[in-house]
Amino acid sequence: MAELTQNEKRLLTVLAREGCTDALNLAQHLDATADAVVQWAYLAMENRLAKVDRIVEKDFVYTEEGRTYAEHGLPETQLMALIGTGTTLANLQKHEAFRIGFGQLRKKGLVTVTDGNVSTVAGRSTSEDEIALKNPHKGGERVKDLIKRGLVLETETVRYQITISPAGMLAVQQGLDLREEQGTLTREQILSGNYKDLNLRKYDIGKLPKKAYPGKTHPYQRIIDEMREILLNMGFTELYGGIVQQSFWNFDALFQPQDHPAREMQDTFYLNETLPLPDGYKRVKAMHQSGGETSSTGWGGVWKEERAEQCVLRTHTTSVSIQHLANNPNPPLKAFCIGRVYRRETIDTTHLAEFEQLEGIVMDKDVNFGNLLGILRVFYHRMGFEGVRFKPSYYPYTEPSLDAEVFVEGIGWIEMGGAGIFREEVTAPLGIQCPVLAWGLGVSRIAMLRLGLKDLRQLHHSDVAFLRESPALRQSKGGL
Amino acid sequence: MAVITLPYKYLERLTKTDRKTILEKVPLIGSDVERMEEDHADVEFFPDRPDLFSPEGVARAMRGFLGIETGLPVYPVKPSGITFTIDPMLAAIRPVLGAAVIRGVTFDDESIQSIMSLQESLHWAVGRGRSKVAIGIHDLDTVEPPFHYIASPRSRRFVPLDCTEEMTMDEILLKHAKGQEYANLVKDFDRFPLIVDSGDHVLSFPPIINSERTKVTMKTKNIILDTTGTERKAVLAAVNIICTAMAEGGARIESVTINGVQTPTLAPAERTVSVKECNKLLGIHLSAAEMAAHLERMRFGARAEGPDAVNVLVPCYRADIMHDWDTFEDVAIAYGYERISDLPPETFTVGKPHPVQELGRVAREIFCGLGFLEVMPFTLTSEATLFGKMRRSENTGVLHVMHPITVDNTVVRTELVPLLMEFLSMNRHRELPQRLFTIGDVVECCATYQKAGGISMHPGADFSEAYAFMDAMLRELSIDYCVRESSDEAFIEGRRGDVFTGGKKVGVFGEIHPAVLNAFELEHPVAAFELDLRAVPGYPAL
Repeated sequence: MAELTQNEKRLLTVLAREGCTDALNLAQHLDATADAVVQWAYLAMENRLAKVDRIVEKDFVYTEEGRTYAEHGLPETQLMALIGTGTTLANLQKHEAFRIGFGQLRKKGLVTVTDGNVSTVAGRSTSEDEIALKNPHKGGERVKDLIKRGLVLETETVRYQITISPAGMLAVQQGLDLREEQGTLTREQILSGNYKDLNLRKYDIGKLPKKAYPGKTHPYQRIIDEMREILLNMGFTELYGGIVQQSFWNFDALFQPQDHPAREMQDTFYLNETLPLPDGYKRVKAMHQSGGETSSTGWGGVWKEERAEQCVLRTHTTSVSIQHLANNPNPPLKAFCIGRVYRRETIDTTHLAEFEQLEGIVMDKDVNFGNLLGILRVFYHRMGFEGVRFKPSYYPYTEPSLDAEVFVEGIGWIEMGGAGIFREEVTAPLGIQCPVLAWGLGVSRIAMLRLGLKDLRQLHHSDVAFLRESPALRQSKGGL
Repeated sequence: MAVITLPYKYLERLTKTDRKTILEKVPLIGSDVERMEEDHADVEFFPDRPDLFSPEGVARAMRGFLGIETGLPVYPVKPSGITFTIDPMLAAIRPVLGAAVIRGVTFDDESIQSIMSLQESLHWAVGRGRSKVAIGIHDLDTVEPPFHYIASPRSRRFVPLDCTEEMTMDEILLKHAKGQEYANLVKDFDRFPLIVDSGDHVLSFPPIINSERTKVTMKTKNIILDTTGTERKAVLAAVNIICTAMAEGGARIESVTINGVQTPTLAPAERTVSVKECNKLLGIHLSAAEMAAHLERMRFGARAEGPDAVNVLVPCYRADIMHDWDTFEDVAIAYGYERISDLPPETFTVGKPHPVQELGRVAREIFCGLGFLEVMPFTLTSEATLFGKMRRSENTGVLHVMHPITVDNTVVRTELVPLLMEFLSMNRHRELPQRLFTIGDVVECCATYQKAGGISMHPGADFSEAYAFMDAMLRELSIDYCVRESSDEAFIEGRRGDVFTGGKKVGVFGEIHPAVLNAFELEHPVAAFELDLRAVPGYPAL
């Protein structure tokens, strides 16, 4: 049984005295409206302490017109008295009741009209209608006619009969705390000690509270932070770099040929800005044209300075890590960067023109392809993916290259990122003597799987309800 | 990415093994099986391996990988006696020509389809949409050598492929589907490239269209291949890939003489690679003989020369082998990625967060403490959102992207509050109060830096609230500041402030102007504030 409210208790106390009574009576005793009493009674009924009977009583009342006729007779009765044994229609028309009464007389077939003279029909009268009008509560066909004529109204009166149950009686006999309830605890009551005598209102814990929404970080940011933490723990230094990059650092330094399709206007956001090429750019130029001093043949063809000077919105964070390498060519170096990158794509549910990329690099004497696989395996394990496998792939600036796949329960193997060792064509012109292991992955791919999103745009054009309802701590299962 | 159709029966005949074995192992040489149909599979290969863009090329590689036939494939080439001349005027138009005679072809639906799709894939991967390389294949028995590659007047007439009427070359660019598609590759030249035979019959108008006369049909027995372009290396690679694929299918290759030079030779390139360097790069331990055996499975000719050297003959169709490491990748693929021991490197290093990202973390903590919910808007936006709706004049440092895709993505953001306003606009139907924040990159005059913005919408939002939040943020970030009356039109006059530190304006706050609320279709007051995080002591210079 739920805790009784103060009002239920007051109701039961009166009921115990009265036994069975109606709501109006109770309302007087309790100094409340009948509606309130009924509400409390229903609450008590839910607790099986009382019974509420809803009693509907029908009644008939006169309309104003009906009341006049009840006193003076129906218009047709008044006309019948005037007609007597016979009169002229003209005489009858002078009577105030003619308009309504004559129609009724004709309808009921009580009179006949011959050559302007009106006479009654033998053996017929309005007496039954008059009886019905005097006693409408008796009902019947004639009363229905009167209702139709708008002389009598049928009304319904609802009454509530409230009876205390044996359980209610028992509760009253056992004693109810009838002290007045208090909603709030005040400073005065705490200091004075009055709280001891207080009857603080008790709340129904079965009722859900109004939702409170904490301030919190974006679920996507939490995934980014998780990756940051894993890589910081693995001994990596975090990088941060500009969104606007020179083509030189975004493409050329990465040995991407100047006629590579990814460099076309269709795929990359170009800006109407140029920046001067860095010192030593000619070593990169020589590498493209002829392979410089390495065993490479280079791409051949012509390498144009103007193309390298053009600024773009970075298409990968590799443009940031390659500059970090160029500035820090001495081993060891372990660094990562998570940042937004741009592709000139039409935006839809699975493609965005801007998205977060994670990129990691390791440069050290004697690091090798096996070490790269090892780093990836540790990283993906820490992200919660138990199954990790590698397969050959192709990236213009790495050799050998690979794609990493992780196993996701219920989906299977999914591609989670690419990796490789920077080509010597990339590292040699920057004066880097050691191999550089590099890998990257699309952060939004993991976010989409983890957050169960059907539409990537939801990460950036988020529904506030989605953010509010997204728990800070997710039950993680197999990386998701 | 190139998706290649592999008909099972043809593939099985060429590979000399069953489809199940082939399709199970083909991803291990670098591919994705896209789908398996009843009679064929569609497999995606990487753009660096155009030699795999045909069933013949895939079969050749798989025979090696599966150990059915290893080592360098040898393709005998006899001289055909056919010659080509090149018009010197082409030097500035489309200078490079490659050609070959392919005899004894037996075409059926599948092999014609295969050669046509190889041609298309090469146009894409090697030819850069026909600009660098364009390929024409003709029935040799419809024309009479010698052939001439000339710079022709644009008024020259011939019947282009799949047409019945003669057209001038200018008309072809205007009216023919291929002419329209590739017109921009030639339209600025006074003369157009053209290949004709000794009787002045047209073979092709590279890189646009072949002539109807030389069309290849099921009855074709002998082919003359023309490949034109701007780079010798790429043109030769395309010739080699087509010739060797046709030879794999059973045809005989003959060379032609172009300006006195015999081509193609289909001869391998040679390089000597270090076993030690390969082992060191991959983290494995192979002897020279083992390394040579792995290379042979990848269809190189390979011979151990002492303990540290392997002599490698690179097949003429492997245009991707530029550097010794390219052969090492093939060793790794033959060895198997799954067999390489994956131990992380041993060098001890200490992780270090970047100060900008650390600052972001702290600012997020403050915002969350103030009850704000993080959002992560796009960085690309429009002038209308950034300035117009905000009643602000355009920031002179704003960057316009040159070829925007939509009107909503024309500039890189310079401020954050307008994007937060857009968020409120998208979430009008959600419960109030809404307090949103974002921290992230903005770009001004090519320089990237971070800002923090917060916004609060509810019936009681006002100047005092904006000021209180701004002040809390500044105090928590240890920024000494002063405030002056602002003139920012985005806010209501007398209910707006600029934040200064060290004499520099670093922030703004206030109660958003009702006209701005109207522009974003908002119905409640909004308090907003934005801070340039470079104001934080110790913010690093990029």
